[in-house]
Amino acid sequence: MTNWKASGLSKDLPPANVMHADWQGVDLAVWRSASGRLSAWVDRCPHRGMRLSHGFVRGETLACIYHGWTYGVTGACTHIPAHPDMTPPATITATRFEVTERGGVIWIAAKDDPTAPPDIAGFQPLRSLTVQVGEQALLQALAADAPGLTEAEGGLRGTVQIAGLDTQICLMLQPKAQETTLHILCGAGAGPAQVSRWAESLRRQIEDRSAP
Amino acid sequence: MILYDYILSASCYKVRLMAALLGIKLDLVAVDFHPGRAHKSAAFRDLNPAGSIPVLVDGDLVLTESTAMLVYLAQIAGPQWLGEASPQSAARVQNWLAFSGRLNSSLGLARLHDMLHFPADITACRTAGHLCLRELEAHLTQVRLEGRIFLEGTAPSIADIACFPNVALAPDGGVELRDYPSVRLWQRAVRSLPQFIEMPGIHRLHDLKPAPHSGAAA
Amino acid sequence: MIPQAVLDQWYPVAMTSLVGPWPGRETQLLGRPIMVFKTQSGAVSVQTAQGQAVAVTLAYGHVWACLGTPAQDLFALPEAAQPGRRLVDCGVVRVKCSPLRAVENFLDIAHFPFVHTDVLGAEPHTEVGRYEVQIRDDVDEVWATKVHFYQPQAAKSAAGGIVTEYMYRVAAPTAAVLYKTCPNRTNEWDVIGIFVQPLAEDLCDVYPYMALFDDVTPQADLIHFQQMIFLQDRSILENQIPRLLPLDPGMEIPTQADLTSVAYRRWLKRKGLTYGAQVVAA
Repeated sequence: MTNWKASGLSKDLPPANVMHADWQGVDLAVWRSASGRLSAWVDRCPHRGMRLSHGFVRGETLACIYHGWTYGVTGACTHIPAHPDMTPPATITATRFEVTERGGVIWIAAKDDPTAPPDIAGFQPLRSLTVQVGEQALLQALAADAPGLTEAEGGLRGTVQIAGLDTQICLMLQPKAQETTLHILCGAGAGPAQVSRWAESLRRQIEDRSAP
Repeated sequence: MILYDYILSASCYKVRLMAALLGIKLDLVAVDFHPGRAHKSAAFRDLNPAGSIPVLVDGDLVLTESTAMLVYLAQIAGPQWLGEASPQSAARVQNWLAFSGRLNSSLGLARLHDMLHFPADITACRTAGHLCLRELEAHLTQVRLEGRIFLEGTAPSIADIACFPNVALAPDGGVELRDYPSVRLWQRAVRSLPQFIEMPGIHRLHDLKPAPHSGAAA
Repeated sequence: MIPQAVLDQWYPVAMTSLVGPWPGRETQLLGRPIMVFKTQSGAVSVQTAQGQAVAVTLAYGHVWACLGTPAQDLFALPEAAQPGRRLVDCGVVRVKCSPLRAVENFLDIAHFPFVHTDVLGAEPHTEVGRYEVQIRDDVDEVWATKVHFYQPQAAKSAAGGIVTEYMYRVAAPTAAVLYKTCPNRTNEWDVIGIFVQPLAEDLCDVYPYMALFDDVTPQADLIHFQQMIFLQDRSILENQIPRLLPLDPGMEIPTQADLTSVAYRRWLKRKGLTYGAQVVAA
């Protein structure tokens, strides 16, 4: 059983960008350097607790928006603008999580995991979409609405009729407190725009049913 | 051209931003919206009976709707910002201008509630705001599949400027943008436009400038 | 259970000019509902939900209340009465953060280039030089002096970049005042304050305040300038983790630039003013 959790799509995090991600209830800042290196850190600057996901990427560093404290890809603080001539103590570091990419999906684990993230060859990443129901309720709803999908490592896979076409779909689930994010990938069948609209429609159905 | 302005108003910022992007210099008149409620004063309502801001005055022309101001500024200094000439494109731009009104009455009101004590049904505002953001995200997902990034056509337009402020400021009203990746990348594209200006709540993209020190090479 | 030391302090609860007749401003203080209103005789009164009147004092354009027995008089701000100064009430802004974090941010200069870019600071002028900090036992206040920083536009009336000198003063647990170089009078200081009303441990109403020498700038422009500055801070304050201010060392890492904050935290801890603070490291 892998500990890697699907946490976003690679195409939604271009070089020199940072975003927030939720890992099992832990807030993370996930960022990609100018050269393309990916990092996932606890979303908190050790200086004053500011969320690093609000920060900015310059070259191979992530800086905090509050005071510009700058961290290299190892997590070590490399620069404190208030004291530009000082070498920051080695004890000042961001808290790192493990992060990797496979099949266009960003996978995050708490510590180095010898297993590989699920193999999703043959699918193209489409979009991430959050549904306002918990994971179990979502799985039940999907079993009713998309019976062609069956549980596979990290989520669901199978065939769904979209726009009259048998379409290969892979859904990677990222459960959160009261909601679930679906990372949607598609294979042969309907085009990506049709799959995107199908996912919107599916979400409306599921949420309408679960509404009090 | 005079803009009766409030520094914290998303609608005023729309106009300041458009003018900056077009290189138009506005004469700003600060209105004591909070705490003075000067926009409700008799003198101000002689100018705009609705008692709302912004108000744009250019000679005899008095405009009281921010989306109309965007049209006017673009007509004067940058017609390419009006979108493409086809009937479909022109209509879609109008659709986004009207949509920006929905953003203002949902995300915008949530922000005024959370920040300046405006009375509002905050849960309803946030729910309506998320609905708008889902529509925006769905559209921008489609746009990205076509290799584009802006709301309409291949270049930025008044549609983007009309929608950008209340979306970017949504967290001020307790609406997080985490679940909208295409909205995040679209915002970044708007914020990266040459001559872009900020307002309080929208920080400078410091990454657009190189680091003045060597630490970023680490 | 709120410590008695917290209850015995003065806190701002309204702008005096906006207080109306009963029920007036319905708000809360330290988590307790209160009403701030004008009586028929025109006096300002503050009552709890149980109808209990609490201690009130009017000063610096604001109504101050104390839920317990005032440990001392409200701090003195003689500049407020100095002839020639313009007193500017800048309204009230709600922030989802600890009242103590709002004060600490006000005492901080190192964030100017990143949060108040091209106004109160700009790269590459990021260095914070040595300054002096003390907890003054005679007045029971925290002071920082000889603070210098390069500012592109130090005030609404500033024409260009100048090196500004600051003094900072924590005058009450949730009220701080700064004195900065006045662009219009070389021998005077501009006075800017923030008065923070603790609604709850992680929610506050912030009243920015100014007493300036500036005969020229329209009032609305001064208000806009100060609201611009404070609202640039708001998204920072709402995104600090944890929401409460950690008083134990180790949770956050200060440097020499943060000596005012270190002294403020130490002073709060020593006095038991832990409302809005996290005392035990999580």
